[in-house]
Amino acid sequence: MNLRLPLALLGVLTLGSALAAQQQTTVYTGARILPGGRPAIDNGVLITAGGKILVVGGASTAVPEGAVTVDCAGRTITPGLIDASFRGGAAPNDLNEQGEEVTPQVRVLDSLDPEDRSFARARAAGVTTVHVMPGTRNVIGGLGCVVKTFGSDPAAMVLKDAASLRIVMGAEPSMGNRAIRGGRVDSIYYRRPTTRMGVVWEVRKAFYEAKQALELTLGAAAPPPSPGRDVLARVLRGELTAYTTARSEQDIRTALRIAGEFGYQTVIEEAQDAYLVADQLAAAKVTVLLGAPSAAQVTGPAGADGADPRYATARMLADRGIPFVITTGSNAAALDLVREAMFAVRNGVAPAMALDAITVAPARLLGLDDRIGSLAAGKDADFVVWSHDPLDPAAVAVSVHIDGKPVTAPR
Amino acid sequence: MNRPLPFAAAALLLAAFAPSQDVVAVKGGRILTITGPTIDDGVVLIESGRITKIARTADVEIPWTAKVIDATGKVVMPTWVVAHSQAGQRGLNENMQNVPWLSVADAIDPAATYFEDALRNGVGTIHVLPGNQTLLGGTGMVVRPAGRTVEDMAVAANTGIKLSLASSGGGRLQQIRRLRRAIEDVREYLADFDRRKAEFDQEQAAGAIPADKTWTEQIDRTKKAACDLVQKKTKGWLFVPSAAELDEALRLSQQLDLVLVLGANIDEGVMLLTKLAQPVVLDDEIEYYETDEETQKEHKVCTAKLLADAGVPFALSLGLGGPTSYPWWQLGTCVRNGVDRRLAIEALTTVPARLLGLQDQVGSLSEGKLGNLQILTGDPLQATTWVETVVLEGNVVYQRSEDPKLKYLFARDKDMAAKAAADKAKDQAKATDDAADGDPANRPPAKAADGGGDGPAPKRDGDGKQPNDGGAR
Repeated sequence: MNLRLPLALLGVLTLGSALAAQQQTTVYTGARILPGGRPAIDNGVLITAGGKILVVGGASTAVPEGAVTVDCAGRTITPGLIDASFRGGAAPNDLNEQGEEVTPQVRVLDSLDPEDRSFARARAAGVTTVHVMPGTRNVIGGLGCVVKTFGSDPAAMVLKDAASLRIVMGAEPSMGNRAIRGGRVDSIYYRRPTTRMGVVWEVRKAFYEAKQALELTLGAAAPPPSPGRDVLARVLRGELTAYTTARSEQDIRTALRIAGEFGYQTVIEEAQDAYLVADQLAAAKVTVLLGAPSAAQVTGPAGADGADPRYATARMLADRGIPFVITTGSNAAALDLVREAMFAVRNGVAPAMALDAITVAPARLLGLDDRIGSLAAGKDADFVVWSHDPLDPAAVAVSVHIDGKPVTAPR
Repeated sequence: MNRPLPFAAAALLLAAFAPSQDVVAVKGGRILTITGPTIDDGVVLIESGRITKIARTADVEIPWTAKVIDATGKVVMPTWVVAHSQAGQRGLNENMQNVPWLSVADAIDPAATYFEDALRNGVGTIHVLPGNQTLLGGTGMVVRPAGRTVEDMAVAANTGIKLSLASSGGGRLQQIRRLRRAIEDVREYLADFDRRKAEFDQEQAAGAIPADKTWTEQIDRTKKAACDLVQKKTKGWLFVPSAAELDEALRLSQQLDLVLVLGANIDEGVMLLTKLAQPVVLDDEIEYYETDEETQKEHKVCTAKLLADAGVPFALSLGLGGPTSYPWWQLGTCVRNGVDRRLAIEALTTVPARLLGLQDQVGSLSEGKLGNLQILTGDPLQATTWVETVVLEGNVVYQRSEDPKLKYLFARDKDMAAKAAADKAKDQAKATDDAADGDPANRPPAKAADGGGDGPAPKRDGDGKQPNDGGAR
């Protein structure tokens, strides 16, 4: 509590050096570099300038003249981590637009608060990019976006403003909703759906109408424009990926079935019961997001979905070749992203694969692997200098860089 | 939670858990003795439940009768010691607040999953005390997390009284006032007792009472434990919810022999704690965010680090489920925040052992101590390390390869999950059967048979939600 002054001072220092660092050619030497998707480089050299990576190489890499050198001996450098399902970014009340239960047109970007604490926490934990989606209270929640975790203007933080469409299966969208039981039909307290079958029907109806409209536009009479329907049409045309939150076995099966019915591509998010549906997931060629694999149970309202997480899930997906991404997801008990990967390693996933699942894999999934998720020439200089192996419980992020800038107070 | 318990005097607790009569030799492991040097490739010899020898394998002759446990390539270390826990009970607190005559012996549930989890995490000694919603809340006891009855589990009884400064309606000052009053009541009772005894002696001396009459009145049974506390014959374990109550806690600890059991939010009070003679017990939440009231900026606080820097000795606690229930996570959190690794390990071994007065029994491996040890797959601070075997007084009480819960959590596909669920149901059926003395009428429906194929989802079976599982295990 009494750290006020020193902290403020540090902040000023960081900002000052940050501006310089962005332009300056900076060389990070002596660290073990885990570039992501490629073998580790011991005693590696990472050179950045103008917010981009110039070179990643071994000890013999030529260092340009006039460059600032940062000695990282004994440290480990990884790409900035990517959380492909991030719960924060906005006030909790701002994540669910409950005026309707199907709101494909709303953008979570409009709710984002760059000052939200979750961004600072994520940064300090080495997370440089997050995928934020609308909350799980709606059947079709709206458009998710991908942002970097540092900035004061959402527009400047954005990497992708319409990155996903969130669809939610299971108990949450109907939780607490009220049917008309003798009350007035136009009561404001009346909200649909009230059951799982109602939830599924809302999804099916929305896509059915969008599909019909899509077919109609081919004829003479174009249907009246509808922003929501247009978003769904983009999903149907394969221009936008659906992220279907489906935790229990039953909900995962339903999510795959509906996507199959309408022929759109989906990612299965929070797939706790994936181990029970492996064959179907493999056949459907979907990517699975594992929310908080450290947790042995689902807490909060999502617990009502009836999912039964197992330690073995990540390892099983890896063995079956089903692509998976580790996220913090909607579980309130989620740990820092790197610790979630650590738990996957504890439960049998190879360390390199667990790290890929929070760097390269989410970058690829979000279609941003040309910019983030790995360390290679030309990519954004988003990286983390760790005290040592980041998968050790005692590891800390010594410094975190976004576009070359250090974005945390130096330790 | 506050289910009232029928009044029951604390049972006379006899140690029914028999130390193993075998000679047990744990061989080939890297031995972390904690208080002595680390021995690579060593042997721990346990006879009649006590350690008789620790040395390099080359220097020990293992008796041919010994039961040898191979720990080659593994790490052997003492089981963890937990200085304060309120888990493993049915009903943590009476809904009456001032109940110093109660004992956790009547509340401990040997079948609680907490004890199972403790073994899985390598915990061998747990001090169970009443919950925090109390004034003078009954006495605690030290147990081992193995055994079917409280008697089996007992290591030491009457380990001190639980006191709490957590307000239960009426606010902080009310609670302080009530606690002072409760302690003062005991003092007054004692003073009155002594006065009456003195009067009796006086009157007898003066001849008013016949010389053959003796003073028969004893200390009221409901007040005995509290009297012991104010006379400093037993320890008090005082829960201090936050830094705001520390002043009062320090005042009380001048009058009584107190161990402070701290809540999570004590970062502002660290300097006050330097005045204490005893180590403190930390909350299981040792890392949290603090918000600056003016700037609204957050920073992370690690209470273990603050205490380590201030030179205050501390014992760590373990949470109930989740990462803080894992010793490696707690120690990792300490080290990640800059606490010395050795200090962190001591905070779950020698420091709590000393707090419990069991420093020559548990918390480290040396000749003469109890044969309590765990065999780990690797370094105790690594996330990838698992507890392989737990030995308590020479008895193997846990083996990872036979752990039904881990089998269940690691069931990797539908068939394996179904099998794990079926096995679990079978185990439960067996346990219920045992408990029912083999009366077939009490047997639960055979759930195991329908576990496979496309029957009901196996997870429903595995949840232990069968109608008949009624606590029997």
